[in-house]
Amino acid sequence: MTAAAAAAEDAFRSEWGRVLGAVARSTGDLDLAEESAQEAFATALRTWVRDGVPDAPGAWLTTTARRHAIDVLRRRRTESEKTATAARLAAPLQAPLQDAAPDDGPSDPDGDLLRLLYTCCHPALPLEGRVALTLRSLTGMTTAQVARAFLVPEATMAQRLVRAKRRIRATGITFRVPPPALRGERTADVLVVLYLLFTEGYDAWAEPAHDVAGGVERRALADDAVRLVRLATRLLPDEPEVRGLLALLLLQHARRDARSGPDGTTSTLAEQDRSLWRDDEIADGLRELDTALAVGRPGPYQVQAAIAALHCRAPTAAATDWAEVLALYDVLLAMTPSPVVALNRAVALAEVHGPAAGLAAIDDLAEEPALVGYHLLPAVRAELLARAGRPDQAAAALRAALDVVDREGDRRLLRRRLAALTTW
Amino acid sequence: MRYLMLVLSTPDDAEVGSEGTDGVPRIEDWVDRHYGSGAAVLGDRLRPPEDAVGVRVRGGRVVVTDGPYSETKEAIGGFDVLDAPDLDTAIAIASEHPMAYAGAIELRPFWPLEVADAAGGDVTAGGEPAGAGKGGA
Repeated sequence: MTAAAAAAEDAFRSEWGRVLGAVARSTGDLDLAEESAQEAFATALRTWVRDGVPDAPGAWLTTTARRHAIDVLRRRRTESEKTATAARLAAPLQAPLQDAAPDDGPSDPDGDLLRLLYTCCHPALPLEGRVALTLRSLTGMTTAQVARAFLVPEATMAQRLVRAKRRIRATGITFRVPPPALRGERTADVLVVLYLLFTEGYDAWAEPAHDVAGGVERRALADDAVRLVRLATRLLPDEPEVRGLLALLLLQHARRDARSGPDGTTSTLAEQDRSLWRDDEIADGLRELDTALAVGRPGPYQVQAAIAALHCRAPTAAATDWAEVLALYDVLLAMTPSPVVALNRAVALAEVHGPAAGLAAIDDLAEEPALVGYHLLPAVRAELLARAGRPDQAAAALRAALDVVDREGDRRLLRRRLAALTTW
Repeated sequence: MRYLMLVLSTPDDAEVGSEGTDGVPRIEDWVDRHYGSGAAVLGDRLRPPEDAVGVRVRGGRVVVTDGPYSETKEAIGGFDVLDAPDLDTAIAIASEHPMAYAGAIELRPFWPLEVADAAGGDVTAGGEPAGAGKGGA
């Protein structure tokens, strides 16, 4: 690959969102922004080889994309003036046309990215549309790539993106930072989308990557999510929960090489080979967590990161400070009462006060609608029953977990456990 | 952009008193503020659903009924027309309305006839159900 082509590819990865954001802000039209950004990158590939890479590739790309947008708007206006009906349509296009002049206002690449992020994560859009749009707009992933990562046909993903963009237009969502009264909630909405993205990738890391469709693409989502949250910490430096989420992702993702055994079986936290954990990423996560906590405005992501930090700091599973983990789960449960958090708390409770205490807590959760069909409920129960010396009941719980499990890595783990119990 | 802001009440919601209690804004303050600024344009209270008159055309015939078509429990109790630069501004204004606390507000963007591309079949008001699940899960 020539230096110019490499530079263009590099710029594509690092500048796509900014170029898109700049054109979206000045035209208010995400489709046009996408088309213009694509055009700018295609032009870059051609001209940088011939004329060399410009000093400021991002600015060059943004200017080129804006020029393209202006050309399109001019053309649309000319065409629409040909009929009386269409002429009426042209009126609203005149304002954005002026706005789109390449030299309008000071350039604000980070501001453009932040506005784009808030727009893609707007709660008036369907959640799956938000996730897809965020990936497409902020990372430059193609529709086909986003589709593969979410295991849906490309046409389905294309439709999802089209609907989200139409709804942006139809409901009057603009490319802006939300008004102060809504900013707190809206920032939380952004984090929900980014965490969901990470979770998709994170789950795939406990799966046998090559036996499961889309495994490689899904795993890559975790890296994308980490990059996007890191970007968000730069755009929103005063929000400790954003940094808390970054710490959480870094600490969880640092364990990726240990989460699936060579035979594709999920390795639990206790079973993982801790020498495979990535120390540099753990150190990075711990630093981010300390910075977040120092602000003195704790929130659910910071607490979850603190729990992950306790696991990462323990040299062996046996050395885990479970009393502290339990205390943090109590805090988390008070902040976000959720059955899944309560299930995790029951695990910590069993470590501190014995399996009977954990089993009692789990029995309280048996009726939770949110946990119906969730294989980890009977799986955890099986583990505690085995520890309590009730292997028959443990085997029954494992069979119940196997009935509902929908992840290959976990299925293999449950089968192995069941085999160990019944040959015992 | 113009929005129709629907003020909804349900039988289960507590009554919002005229006194601003428990952090609930007073309707007088809301009216002063947003009609004063010009963002709220037109509004009124509506008669209860029992007094609604439904009009439909079926098979070329106008069918008039003496009640609402809505099958949800919420009833539209009033409306305001907002003139706001964008959805976020409209949401912010709606969130300051007392009925956002004890009932519900529905914003319906105006749909000017001139906007040709809004005619797509997908953009039914209200859109798809929120949280239809994460993709491909």
